[in-house]
Formats: sequence, structure tokens, C-alpha cells
Amino acid sequence: MTLTSTMTGSTLLYSTLMADDTKALAQGLRRRDPELLDRLIEQYQYRLFRYLLYLTASRERAEDFFQETWIRVLERGHQYDAKSKFESWLFAIARHLVIDWQRQKKVQSLEALTDPEVGTPLEIPAQNEPSPLHQVLHKEAEAGVQESLGRIPAIYREVLLLRFQEEMGLEEIAGVMETPLSTVKSRLYRGLEALKSAMPASPLGGQGGAA
Amino acid sequence: MSQNPHALFLQLIAKARVEGLSSSERDQLSAHLQDCTFCSEHAHQTDRALRSLRATAIPLPAGLAERTQFRVRLRAQELREREPKRRLLWTICGMSWALGVATAPYVWQAFEWIGQRFGAPKLVWELGFGLWWTIPAVVAAVVILLQNAKQTDETEWPQGK
Repeated sequence: MTLTSTMTGSTLLYSTLMADDTKALAQGLRRRDPELLDRLIEQYQYRLFRYLLYLTASRERAEDFFQETWIRVLERGHQYDAKSKFESWLFAIARHLVIDWQRQKKVQSLEALTDPEVGTPLEIPAQNEPSPLHQVLHKEAEAGVQESLGRIPAIYREVLLLRFQEEMGLEEIAGVMETPLSTVKSRLYRGLEALKSAMPASPLGGQGGAA
Repeated sequence: MSQNPHALFLQLIAKARVEGLSSSERDQLSAHLQDCTFCSEHAHQTDRALRSLRATAIPLPAGLAERTQFRVRLRAQELREREPKRRLLWTICGMSWALGVATAPYVWQAFEWIGQRFGAPKLVWELGFGLWWTIPAVVAAVVILLQNAKQTDETEWPQGK
């Protein structure tokens, strides 16, 4: 499954959920409603997996954390207060799991992943081969982009993803990361600089325009 | 003042993408971008990088959602099975506490009588009463803590990688 196919389905589901009352969502989570959980897993699978992959830089670990995150959602659903967006809460759970795991490995925090000297390269090999057409169109460009992303420290990858892929607001990001707003901003500026330097010279396609 | 005449505008280019600009900043920047090739190219480069980032496709592992749904349902089943036991434990705790409160004056008198009967110092029988009062609560707390610890172990990161 690729971005295109996943996004088509999830966009529809996403808009459906956006219309839902978050309080109803919170109630469903408190009840541990299996139908609701199934729907949420499907709906957020791409976004959560991508976030975890950006954090852990490993598909295998991202997959394990993905499952573990949903187990936590099941167990701690009653803690979702419906004041924040569900995805912020979900990402915060995922982030905590990754940090706990890092601590178990005697690493103090996610910051340890950030040092470019010890940073883990982002590993995004495709397990399911995309269609031949997709391969022809995007193979080279994507390989370049993925390689470039791998050169960016995880802590910057994370904020870049939350801001520019998840389109989260700065306060929301600060909430997910439990970090002051000023830190989020400074990481974004540095991340943007790192992204620009890391990206291949040839564009993926199209002319420049406002982001 | 900055040595680089473009520095302010490069900052504004980044700020526009990160947190947005005020209308005066936007006007200032767009006026500058019309005249300055260097900054204009910088802005295009930034947008290209962001577009590439947004266009990056992450292939999902096959059956990820299905496997997760299955695991979540199993865990939900486990939790449902555990629920009556937990409820029973809390009911017993509640009843024990209520009984303790209701009978406390009588038990206090009983301890006092026993203390006087055997000539025990006041501090000793008061301590005895204190223990009688706290031991059930301590036992219940230990049971609950052990249960929680067991539950945490079960849900702990399994692979330990």
C-alpha cells in the first residue's frame, strides 16, 4: 500500500471523523468500543506509522510501536479528555512509548537520537512493491528524498513531519512533544535549514511556489 | 546590524513557512523577492524541499491495520475477563473500609478493655488498635499494587529490542 492509495481512503475517513464530536470519541474510548477502535486504527494507520518511522528510523520498530500504541489507546482510552485533538493525544502516546523504550536502552531521551554523529539513518525500504508506473515515476526522486531525510536528525524529522505533513499548529506540536513553544520553533527553523541542505538539488517535480 | 543584507529576508522566508508573517512583513518580503534573485531562489529552494517532504511516500507494511486490530481485540477480551475480578476486589475494599469505620468505636473500646484487663500500657493497646485499623488497608494496597505491576509487565514492550 502506498501513500496515494492510503491517502485516498483515509482522507474520506478523516473528514468523517473531523465532523464527529470528540466527546463521542472520548466516550467510545472509555467504553473500549471495538468498532470505534477498528475504525481509528484504519483511519490513522498511515499517519501514525509514518510518525513512528520518522521517530525510530526503523520499519520493524515502527510496526511494533504502532501495535503497542493502539494497545495503550485501548487501555488508557479513559484518559482522553476530548479537549485536545485525538491525533495529538495519539502521537503523544506513541512518542512516550518510543522514549520509554529508549530509556530502557539506557538512553536518556529522544534527544539522543538527534546527535547527527550518532543519529540513526531513516530506513524506508518498501516491503510491498509499488506499481511499476509508480516506480518509474518516483523511484529516483523518492530515493533521493528518503536518503536526504535520513541525513536529518530524528528530532528535526519529527517536528518537520508534525508541522508540514501533519499540518499541526505550533501549540499542538508543543503539546505532543511536551516541549515549550520556543523549543518547537527553534527546532522547526533548524529542521527547515537541515531539510533544505539535505534535499537533492533536482526538484521532485513542478516549479517553486508558496508552501 | 547584520553583515548579510539578505539575512532579514531569509529569516522572513523561514518564518513564513514555520509560523506565518504579519501583513507588513509579508508586504516587505514580497517586495524584496520581486527584486532579489538570491532571496527568491532561496524561497523556491525552501518550497521545493517542503514539497519533496510532503510528497514522500511511506509504504505501509502489509496487513498492519488487520494485525493491530486483532491484537487490540485480544487485549480488550483479556481486560473484559479481568474486569469482574477487579470489581470484586474494589467492592471488598470498600466494604472492609465501611465496616472498619462503623465498628471503630467498638473496637477501640474492646482494645481499651483488653489493655486494662491485662495491665498493658495505653500506648501498647493504642498501637494494637492502629495496626488492626491499618493492616487490612495495607494488605489491600499491596494486592492492588502487585496486580498493577503484573498487568504492567504483561503490557510492557514485549520484544525488549
